Amino acid sequence: MSKLTRRKSMEYIKKEYVRTRTMPASWYLSSYKFKYNITHMEPMREKLKQKKLVGLQCSSCNRVFFPPRIVCGKCMVKPDRWVDLRETGRVATFTIAYIKDPETGEVQERPIVCAQLDGSDTSYPTQLNPDIEFKDTYVGMPIKVHWAENSEGGLMDIQYYDVTEDKAQDLELRKD
Amino acid sequence: MGRQVCIASAGFSEHASKRSDVSMPELVSEAIKDCLKNAPSIEINDIDMFVNGNMPAFEGANIPELWMTDWMGARNKPLMRVTTGGTTGGSVAIAGYYSVASGLPGVDTVLAIAFEQQSQGDTATGLASVAYGEISVLNSLGIPYDQLTLLFSAGAAIGVASYQATNYMRKSKTTEEDLARVVVQNRHNAAKTWWAHLKMPNLTIEEVLDTPYISYPLRYGMVCPASDGACAMLFTTEEKAKDMCDIPVYVNGVGSIATETGILGYCGSGSGQLDPSEQLGAQKTSDVAFQQAGISFPRKEIDYAEVYSPFPNQELMWVEKLGLFEENTASEMYETGVTALNGELPINCSGGVNSTNAIGASAMERPAVAALQIMGKASNQVPETVHTSLGHGWGGYINLITMMVMADEPARKFK
Repeated sequence: MSKLTRRKSMEYIKKEYVRTRTMPASWYLSSYKFKYNITHMEPMREKLKQKKLVGLQCSSCNRVFFPPRIVCGKCMVKPDRWVDLRETGRVATFTIAYIKDPETGEVQERPIVCAQLDGSDTSYPTQLNPDIEFKDTYVGMPIKVHWAENSEGGLMDIQYYDVTEDKAQDLELRKD
Repeated sequence: MGRQVCIASAGFSEHASKRSDVSMPELVSEAIKDCLKNAPSIEINDIDMFVNGNMPAFEGANIPELWMTDWMGARNKPLMRVTTGGTTGGSVAIAGYYSVASGLPGVDTVLAIAFEQQSQGDTATGLASVAYGEISVLNSLGIPYDQLTLLFSAGAAIGVASYQATNYMRKSKTTEEDLARVVVQNRHNAAKTWWAHLKMPNLTIEEVLDTPYISYPLRYGMVCPASDGACAMLFTTEEKAKDMCDIPVYVNGVGSIATETGILGYCGSGSGQLDPSEQLGAQKTSDVAFQQAGISFPRKEIDYAEVYSPFPNQELMWVEKLGLFEENTASEMYETGVTALNGELPINCSGGVNSTNAIGASAMERPAVAALQIMGKASNQVPETVHTSLGHGWGGYINLITMMVMADEPARKFK
């Protein structure tokens, strides 16, 4: 058994309790219809089809949202200005997930990143190029959009993010 | 101006991973009995109002406060339920505080109860019910569901905490060994607390670092357990508290502040909190609560702190963000023993959430332990006299912070 799947139980002082009756029960929760407005995202989806990135800017505090938002929480203003974004960005934060394949039982290590595109002020969870060694991920890593072959006008048009070379020697967030 | 509020007593039930001997109402009843045992002069009939809460849908039972009315002794009394996710306990305590402070006629003594019996239900389903609506927005934007499960397989509470951990560790140059040291201190403290869950008196740093990763950089040995348990606190006015107990604990400041949601954001629109370990909400909450309590130098004036830390990196983060230590110095304090039981500023001497986590009750156990430390009745009592203490809670969509600052004397208004 690999070390990744081993669940070594840690010893602790355990008290045994009397077992009373337990009734197993399952609860079918009905299907739900969650409602939300995505009309404000339509211009972004149109641009994504042309492989272009746009963000929505709040006209009051000038923050740029990618993906766009209905309302700016700081100013309670509806953002209405579309600005172009660059294809480059950086890793705002990341973690490494250990995913067990249900069929083979192998454990995959996948970095999951929150990417912030240059020119925007928000980050969103996405994924890195699967070829990247997970140990090389770090906060502030420069990344670049890798477009999917077939664009459908959704966030999946950005298939994943590639790593670019970081030439800024004096960058504060440079890897130690 | 509201009335001065005091805590007269606090009580716990025993915590374990499976309390198979009791049902949910019996668990709650156990905590109330322990609470009233600490204040012998009053009975359940003397209590004027009840506030309670737990995390919704975690036990597969909705509106539990209505069918356990008799077990709480709340028959024919005003009853209110508050739930705010992970901070439920903190919000229940604050609701109890406000009920007394508002000065309503006939409401002098309020019992606040928070509970959770996680072994009855499925925590993952409960958490999914919170976030599913938001996640499904991403689905409509063209991300297929199998991809989403991949993105959020680091998900739930530990996913969020591991994002915070990577950022915090990078900023403060903390190592995994530092995280393990926090865990060891907590588990050793838990061994001396009668109601705690994970009691590990012989745990070492090497043992913690030997366990596998759940989600980098958090290991299996560093993560909080899922417990069954309940907590009760008795809030009352200054005059009545003096009759009920020897050392009444004055509640001098409360705060409950939320900021922008983290990681996923509203309708999948991302988050403006680029650094999840920044926690502006915690800084703001501590400002508000300390200002109410007339505390200008928390580092010097606070004698004991209980922070909500399911994961060790958060404990280091919170003590800095709440103003107890300078930025990026918390790991040194744990290494030099400042935060130990006999140190300068003891932290989480009950073992903290890291050793006992009954989600709905956890955030209330923090102010409850902090109050008992002032009274001198805590199970793992700090040897030095505690004059001021704080209890802190964290939860919601990783963005709500609750805090309660207590002392053995009323707040100094002019300072």
